[in-house]
Amino acid sequence: MLNPTPTLKSTLKALLYLAPLLVLTAVFILWPLLNAFLICLYTKYNYYTGHVGALGWANFSYLWHDPVFHLAARNTLLLVLVAVPLSVALALAIALGINQIPRLAGFFQTVYFLPFVTSTVAIGLVWNWIFRLDGGLLNRLLNLLHIPAIDWLNDPHYSLAALIIVCIWQGLGFNIILFLAGLNHIDHRFARAAELDGASDWQRFTNVTWPLLMPITILVIVNTSITNFKVFDQVYVLFHGAAGPGDADLTLMVYLYQKFYVENQMAVAAACGVVFFLCVSALTLITVGYFHHRQRQLGGR
Amino acid sequence: MQVTLKNITLAYDQQPPILTNFDCQIPDGQLTALLGPSGSGKSTLLNLIAGLLTPSAGQIIFNQTDVTATDSRHRNIGMVFQDYALYPHLTVRDNIGFPLKMAHVKQAARYQRVAELAELVQVTDQLTKFPQELSGGQQQRVAIARALAKQPSLLLLDEPLSSLDATLREELRGVIRQIQRTTGVTTVLVTHDQEDALQVADQIMVLANGRLQQVGTGRDLYQHPANLTVAQFIGRPRINVVPLGQLPAAFKFWWPTTTPATTLGIRSEAIRLATADQPHLTATVTQQIQLGRDVQTHLQTAMGPLISTAIPTTTDATITVTLAPAGCTLFTANGHRLAGGDRNA
Amino acid sequence: MAHPIRTTLWYLLLTAGAILTLLPFGWMVITSLQPAATTLTATTTWLPKSLQWLNYWHVWQAAPFARYCLNSLLVTVATTAGELFTSLLAAFAFTHLRFYGQRWLFALMVALMLVPGELLLIPNFITLAHLHWINTYAALILPWLASPFMLVALHQAFKAQPQTLYLAARLDGASDWQYLWHVLVPINRPIITAVALLQVIGSWNAFMWPLIVTNTDALRTLPVGLMTFTSDQGTNYPLLMAASVCVILPLFILYLACQKYLILGVTASRLKG
Repeated sequence: MLNPTPTLKSTLKALLYLAPLLVLTAVFILWPLLNAFLICLYTKYNYYTGHVGALGWANFSYLWHDPVFHLAARNTLLLVLVAVPLSVALALAIALGINQIPRLAGFFQTVYFLPFVTSTVAIGLVWNWIFRLDGGLLNRLLNLLHIPAIDWLNDPHYSLAALIIVCIWQGLGFNIILFLAGLNHIDHRFARAAELDGASDWQRFTNVTWPLLMPITILVIVNTSITNFKVFDQVYVLFHGAAGPGDADLTLMVYLYQKFYVENQMAVAAACGVVFFLCVSALTLITVGYFHHRQRQLGGR
Repeated sequence: MQVTLKNITLAYDQQPPILTNFDCQIPDGQLTALLGPSGSGKSTLLNLIAGLLTPSAGQIIFNQTDVTATDSRHRNIGMVFQDYALYPHLTVRDNIGFPLKMAHVKQAARYQRVAELAELVQVTDQLTKFPQELSGGQQQRVAIARALAKQPSLLLLDEPLSSLDATLREELRGVIRQIQRTTGVTTVLVTHDQEDALQVADQIMVLANGRLQQVGTGRDLYQHPANLTVAQFIGRPRINVVPLGQLPAAFKFWWPTTTPATTLGIRSEAIRLATADQPHLTATVTQQIQLGRDVQTHLQTAMGPLISTAIPTTTDATITVTLAPAGCTLFTANGHRLAGGDRNA
Repeated sequence: MAHPIRTTLWYLLLTAGAILTLLPFGWMVITSLQPAATTLTATTTWLPKSLQWLNYWHVWQAAPFARYCLNSLLVTVATTAGELFTSLLAAFAFTHLRFYGQRWLFALMVALMLVPGELLLIPNFITLAHLHWINTYAALILPWLASPFMLVALHQAFKAQPQTLYLAARLDGASDWQYLWHVLVPINRPIITAVALLQVIGSWNAFMWPLIVTNTDALRTLPVGLMTFTSDQGTNYPLLMAASVCVILPLFILYLACQKYLILGVTASRLKG
């Protein structure tokens, strides 16, 4: 039991406990993972018969030349580049606020986290109703400010903005919780010491809190980016299964879904999935690298 | 129950062996202490007996049964750990009753037995509390009660006192002693603290560097240490060790000049103020410390620094001291005590 | 520390943010109580004169919501329970048992944590299609029963417990199986509740996978059913909002009841890197 080296007997016993997870992992994660990389190389693939014409890079070259895919990539990038900084900055501000106030911190935390537990589909319908040209809440509020009504869901200039609003609204709570955990993690003695050294509030934030919060911030940024790379439900619900006016809200995942489920181009969809996977992996690896580097800097293991 | 370890070897790949061809026997019905510095292999030995470790070679025998391959669950052993290892989610009652529950003892019978055990370790008024509400001493009592619940034929105590403060240690030593007497269960206590062993054990096994150095009572170990390691480990302050060659000529007539011994061990109480007719040596008092009842005197002599506990408080800077033969032991170059080398035999 | 003006400003900012966060929920509830089919013509008022509670009744009449609900409940419970079961067993093995390839296997599990479910969508669909499992509960549940994330989270928690607890239990006569269920699981209840809650939320709200593998009312879960309902009802917003309330409400209640566990789960799961 304490022996550090395994024996045949202990291995067999462990296998008994591991078997359910291992079998399911093999069938539903490992095998499909390998398969995903195989399918994206299938050319002239007939899904119904399982017939594969040949292996090759044709699907990737299809994506390379497909203007619709370009649009999807552009939209997704735009979504990430706009939504992520806004979401992270807002979350940080709110977390700092919750951390500062003497009362009601728990209440605000509860409120801000609500969207996280909310069904995207259900609340997406609500947003669909809020964004409506006639009778929608948002235009009524704009009307109060004497701003002319905007057809959020049918005007290609605004429909991506609408999607971004929904994504920020829904992702905020999660980031706030992470930032709050990070702030709690910072030793109060640092702040107290800085205060005794005569640092102003702003100096204290830039010199103490912000650098110590850096790892969490990186984590939140990467996490939010990945989440926004995956946006699908929101689009589907906001535009009732379509991709917005003139495909203005076509994201990578919506493209994948359309190729896969609507057009039955499995191999192209799989290639799109692989591209998506590589983007997300690159992001993750950069973070892992950063944390390794940092740990070495701090003299850790 | 008598426990015999036969030819035990424990080694892992690419590491020096922890135990090699180790033999020992733990007598039935007694409290045996395994005493040794950290890293001496004493906890390893306990884990081997408990079945938590499997030896690479050798046999573990309980009475006449070879249990080397027996799972620890079926060895009928009670064990108490240094960190108590109480189940934090169970009350004291359910902690003590846990082994009985695992043995499918009915609740009524279980609680009956728990009440008896609680009485024995004096935690009856704590039964409905949770472990984290108890003091360290109380937690250790509960741990002992739990270890005794299924009436084990062997009770193993792994450094049970080392996380307690001095007063509680003292108290718990008494508890352990008394419980062992009452139940008569064969008990092995692992400790690095000689006072634990000296106060509690019927028999002490001194371990160092993975080897059994000596087995005996506290008196044996102090007065007739088998080797320098034991001599240095037992007794506080540490035995004074001087090369025999540096001993002033005045003392040399004690032993034949042909003695194979190279080292002399002098107990602190054997260094006394010399009277005029005794062989003596001159010493400078570097420090005197009052340690409760005793006075520890640090001396600088021609043989090097010495510590004495038999010199009364003095203001003199230089004194003459003598050595009482009863506290002197000779050791050979390889550390063994020279047979007949001590004068107190 | 107390700086009255700044504190007031923080409160104002936080309150404004809270109102914006709650606005969609408020708008949803209010609309759901408006007279049916009038919202697009008449102006929705914040406090309508007569609250149309009957809208909720109409929703249950207009679509097989009871069925959707049952499906969601079944899928959520089965997925969460199954995933917990496989992860608990494996996390125990990784923590207390020694076996060949242990480090290698654990590294693999950590790596698999990074694989997004979206990548597996197509191959999993093809596997299930070839097994003729599309439109079955198996398709909704089985692919989600192995979760490297849950395994790693539980393993971290188990590792933090003193090993002597395991040794003590073994000597007290508990088998590995008994130790797992009588000791390890009860003392790790907070983290287990936390990861289970995350899974419940994920399963209850899951959309893309159920959308792809179901196409009959008998198997649709609530989110997918709600989408179907939307295509039928068009712009009857009061009914749609009433249906949305029904989908959201169960998790709201669960969240308010178990908030601290959920927050523990979120922080424990993401701050380990």
